[in-house]
Amino acid sequence: MSSLVGFSSLVLAIGINFYLFLSRYIFKFQKQKFNLFIRFSSLLTLLSFFSLMYAYVVSDFSIYNVFQNSHSNKPLIYKISGTWGNHEGSMLLWLSILSIFSFFFSFTKNIDESFQRLTLIIQSLLHILFGLFIVFTSNPFLVNSILVNEGLGLNPILQDPGLAVHPPILYVGYVGYSIVFSIAIAGLFQNTDDEWLYVAKKWSLISWTFLTGGIALGSYWAYYELGWGGWWFWDPVENISLMPWIAGLALVHSLMMVRGEQAIKKWIVFLSILCFSLSVFGTFLVRSGILTSVHSFTADASRGIFILLIFFIVTGFGFLVFLLKEPKKSNTLNLLFINKVSAIVINNILMIIATLTILLGTIYPIIIEVLYNKRISVGGPYFNSTVIPIMIPGFLLMSIAPILSWQTNKIQNSKKYAIGFIMLSILVLIQSYFSDFNTWGFVGLLLGFWIILASIIAIFSSYKVKFNIKFFQIINPHIAHIGVGIAIVGITCSSVFQNELDFNLNEGDKFNVNGKTVLFQEIENTNKINYQALRGKFIFDIEKNQSKKIEAGKNYYPVSKMITSEAGILHQWNKDIYFILGDQKNNEWFVKVLINPFVSFIWLGVAIMIYSGFIAVTRR
Amino acid sequence: MKLNHFFRILLIATLGFVFFTFKIFAVENIDERVKNLTLELRCMTCQNQSIYDSDAEFSKDIKKIVKRKLQEGLNERDIKKFLVQRYGEYILFRPLMNYNNIFLWSFPFILLIIGLFFVLIKTKGKKI
Repeated sequence: MSSLVGFSSLVLAIGINFYLFLSRYIFKFQKQKFNLFIRFSSLLTLLSFFSLMYAYVVSDFSIYNVFQNSHSNKPLIYKISGTWGNHEGSMLLWLSILSIFSFFFSFTKNIDESFQRLTLIIQSLLHILFGLFIVFTSNPFLVNSILVNEGLGLNPILQDPGLAVHPPILYVGYVGYSIVFSIAIAGLFQNTDDEWLYVAKKWSLISWTFLTGGIALGSYWAYYELGWGGWWFWDPVENISLMPWIAGLALVHSLMMVRGEQAIKKWIVFLSILCFSLSVFGTFLVRSGILTSVHSFTADASRGIFILLIFFIVTGFGFLVFLLKEPKKSNTLNLLFINKVSAIVINNILMIIATLTILLGTIYPIIIEVLYNKRISVGGPYFNSTVIPIMIPGFLLMSIAPILSWQTNKIQNSKKYAIGFIMLSILVLIQSYFSDFNTWGFVGLLLGFWIILASIIAIFSSYKVKFNIKFFQIINPHIAHIGVGIAIVGITCSSVFQNELDFNLNEGDKFNVNGKTVLFQEIENTNKINYQALRGKFIFDIEKNQSKKIEAGKNYYPVSKMITSEAGILHQWNKDIYFILGDQKNNEWFVKVLINPFVSFIWLGVAIMIYSGFIAVTRR
Repeated sequence: MKLNHFFRILLIATLGFVFFTFKIFAVENIDERVKNLTLELRCMTCQNQSIYDSDAEFSKDIKKIVKRKLQEGLNERDIKKFLVQRYGEYILFRPLMNYNNIFLWSFPFILLIIGLFFVLIKTKGKKI
């Protein structure tokens, strides 16, 4: 039943969008009616999505997709998240979010009516493309040909609260760029005024903020679930989400120039098209099965080709319109060494270089395999030694960029900054003498703290401190940059100053971590609803009263015969103590303890960035 | 003080510190060398994990081999060469800097130079 409802509403929604697209050339709608049709098709798409979710919740195994990816004795949250824990469902989620964006965009006020309609028409086109993709190659509503009582289960790695919410948030970010894309294309067709730039800014900020949240959730999940103590691996799938993120960051910054009346429309349109192209490209690479990872659910060539086709249509169409309908040359840039305009231009150049480098590094192994039939890897060391050095000038610049002037190359209170920088360098140098010296550690700490310090100096010396919303809107760029600074400190400390301790232990042994005694209490084996849990129980700092319990171990999922590791993490404000339970050998358990200093700063920094993303949306 | 003065100081200070720091590179002990090398090697039996981070049997073996070879006095380059002969270039997370990969390694820096030229040309004629 739910498959019938889901499939017919999905097809009907595509039909409505097709009708709207044709109607543009046949007869004119009234605005009210047009928007009603858009909203109706959005609701139908959502209905389709929720009927699939319903099938998952009630474990309706007559639907093939549910049979393949669900199991009746699974907690409710994973039944719900199972909806998008597979290729077909995640594509339906993608389409639903696309239509939600159209839905909200149809409510936008203070915008030219025909411009809004054109934007929504382009959204409809995208809806048709992705809708047909779902119907023809990844239909989640196919009926199971055999009668079964039980499903095959969800990949255990995906059975985690972090991963339950990671895909929807990431998709809001990815798909949000569709509306930015549509706005930019519409702006090319209707070269009237610059009002659309403000609209584009709002939507690109929303997308970027969600993308930040989605990536952060993914890497936090990698940190506590994959059990190797790191949180970023330059895995192809991570790189793919990072590319639209950096390009989107460049877009958000160049949209700032609209306020300085230095609109470089051409560049903004280019970036808007690029962001969405990268999002679609990312979907293609992940879903095609070319890259092997937890994200590629099944490898099916026809799907890959279809998405590749969509990618070429979207990108080709976007860039073709861009070339044919090039925006009129706007006023020339007031580039000085160094004012706000040149700072933003440099920022954009560096970010595009970073994006292209990551793109090359990610697809390079594929190119080599196709050309020479040889497998090579391009991993973390490559990106660390290319992307990071290239970004360093940008990091230096961002510390003072928000207070630079649009017109002149003078800077207020420059003495304060110079003194601050010198003092800070000396402090960091002293710190590095008293710890193990490391060049990257030194550079990272100096950069991170410098960004924080310069932003604080800027806030207190350039603005009157008040505590109302307006003040927080004005200092928002500084707040965002402080977030980046904090994250850089966290990233540097946790990667450079990480400490590893290995132990071979019996139950009841005591051992020493960071000057604190830890008791390895016992090993416990328990049966949960859908898995068996093996847990090593540790008590940290046993000699004190406020000792903490830590559990580290493994889960065995009998349905899919898989083992996942569950790290035990003790969070302290300045460090994480990360326990990994290894194998048992000669009655002794191998236990690995990682001390990750200042990891919490990374998440704090990201949270601040997300906060200022939302604050920026409220500001015109 | 004009901004460019400030930037000059900033640049000189940073460069000075960086060169200074390269001079006092400490001599690494063997465990650190094993760590640094195995971080750049792929665990062939895992999914996207370095040998250092992985606890698979394969990784344990490679760690032992690397340590033994370092103790025998071989340097990182020889060990990488040995591993590439045995397992192919796929094992290296840092692609070899050779003729084949020249595009991969030079690409970002070519872009950087182009970008730098762009900024310099556009700001030309303005007083610095």
